[in-house]
Amino acid sequence: MRIVEAFIGEYASGKSENAINRALELLRRNRQVTIVDLDTVEPFYTLRPLKKKLEQLGLRVIAWDPAETTGLGEAGSLINQQMIWALRNEGDIILDIGYGAHGARILNLVEGAQDDPDLRLLVVVNIARPMTASVEDIVQYVQGLGTVHGLINNSHLGNETTLDIIQDGAVMVTEAARILQLPVIYTAVAREFAHLIGPHDKAGNPVKIIELFMHEAYW
Amino acid sequence: MKEKPVKGERRVFMTGNEVCAWAALAADADIMFGYPITPQTDIMQYWTRLAPKYGKKFLQTEDEISAGFTTLGAVIAGKRAFSATTGPGNVLFQEPMSMAEMMRIPVVLIIPMRGGPSTATVIYSQQEVTMTAFGGNGEGFRVVYSTAGHQDLYDYTIKAFNTAWKYRFPTFVLSDGYQGKMRESLTIYDPAERGIEMVKAEPMLGLPGIPGVDRPTRHLRNTYNTEEELYEVVMQIARDFEKAAPEIVEWQDFDTDSEMDVLILAHGVVSRAAQGALPLLKNEGIKAGHFRPITLRPMPEEQMRAAAARANRVVVVESAYGQFLKLVKETLYGMDKPIDAILRPGVGITAEEIVAEIKERR
Repeated sequence: MRIVEAFIGEYASGKSENAINRALELLRRNRQVTIVDLDTVEPFYTLRPLKKKLEQLGLRVIAWDPAETTGLGEAGSLINQQMIWALRNEGDIILDIGYGAHGARILNLVEGAQDDPDLRLLVVVNIARPMTASVEDIVQYVQGLGTVHGLINNSHLGNETTLDIIQDGAVMVTEAARILQLPVIYTAVAREFAHLIGPHDKAGNPVKIIELFMHEAYW
Repeated sequence: MKEKPVKGERRVFMTGNEVCAWAALAADADIMFGYPITPQTDIMQYWTRLAPKYGKKFLQTEDEISAGFTTLGAVIAGKRAFSATTGPGNVLFQEPMSMAEMMRIPVVLIIPMRGGPSTATVIYSQQEVTMTAFGGNGEGFRVVYSTAGHQDLYDYTIKAFNTAWKYRFPTFVLSDGYQGKMRESLTIYDPAERGIEMVKAEPMLGLPGIPGVDRPTRHLRNTYNTEEELYEVVMQIARDFEKAAPEIVEWQDFDTDSEMDVLILAHGVVSRAAQGALPLLKNEGIKAGHFRPITLRPMPEEQMRAAAARANRVVVVESAYGQFLKLVKETLYGMDKPIDAILRPGVGITAEEIVAEIKERR
């Protein structure tokens, strides 16, 4: 069965990290994977600067080349035909959706997104983001996004991440998910936390170890 | 009463532009006026996301000239108003900011600097120093805080409101495109819980009572009929500015207590590269210190001169072609001190690059 997943979240929630890691995970299972940069808002910290690297790893990447968007700021971003028809590609498709102001609305521009039976929208939540810092805020934020299929706890403080914030995030995201009647897909942790947290977080959700790529994605 | 946006203290992870929006909320700003321009736009976007929730307002104007004047109008009406812009937008803001200087209207403007001249890049620079500190057809009666990271952005955006309203000079928070987009952790807090009391924003016009009878007439002017009249007014503003300067100036110094081979002078985000360069230089056997003015206007003159006096030479490092260098030369005037400069207009500077340059020019 074809896997089609869209990752959405706030700035610095970790949506791109999780999208890349999911794409690579599927690739390791010898599946054909296309990853699509639908972050049309932000000129920084997108998949674009990583395009070559991800292609070398074996992914098919639909994203502008950074050189093609030079000089465009938040007001001048473009969507191209490959992005519009992204869901018509063969194999698995991972969509990295731009940050929250427009929410999932960018999907309106993607052909077939409204009735693709396989498309699952996953919300990446970091409780160190003030807009998603409490159960109530997370619930409100997710409700504002439209149809959603699951939550991912990706709580972190960059280089200052602690096990506590990951676990606090797990508890909060799980409670928000219960209210929203959505599943928690997993809790994401950087490799250095793997041995500290074990296979499940405090709330019983599976833990997924992710490799970090986005620090190389500054422009 | 609406709930407080920030309660207690919290460690958070954000972009610098978001930090500015949160800081303005924490400072209890009432309204933002603005016009989109990269890399400032997310300050607006974040403010507009947050504003309705906390009973705050926003107006997108037709351009930056209008954003500046509407901000001043709101301040005159008694609102704690602010704006944010950059590059070509900052150019257009100079007319209203000049009026604010003349009429002593407190105002806060946040500037994540982009490349120049003209449209240049939407990315990063330190090329708006001269314009921010001395723009407009005036004398630069302004306060400019140059920030070096997200904690600074939060602290100094809050502080800017109090500096502006206390001393009644336009106050600028100088950031840059890197800081605006960079993600970093910081502590956000309710200023009141740290004992920071926000200076009250009160109407400057339309006060109760009959002017001239119940209260003195208030005549806000930016136009004068004679040279002598203007001279008196400008000299009074100058005296007020000079008097306030020692209370406003802020700086940081690193390893400047003893004799140095070289003193690195840098402001804003470049200061972080300078701080990073110090241990590397030490490993190379070079005794280096670093002085960072936090206020570029007024400049911590005495403190910079004291640090420079302990160094054999001074190296100015900036992402501009000599704008900060000019201020340094003015500050160190009359000192017998070689001044060298690493000037990289519109591009970032790393600690390693500073070390390499200093070694090469030894």
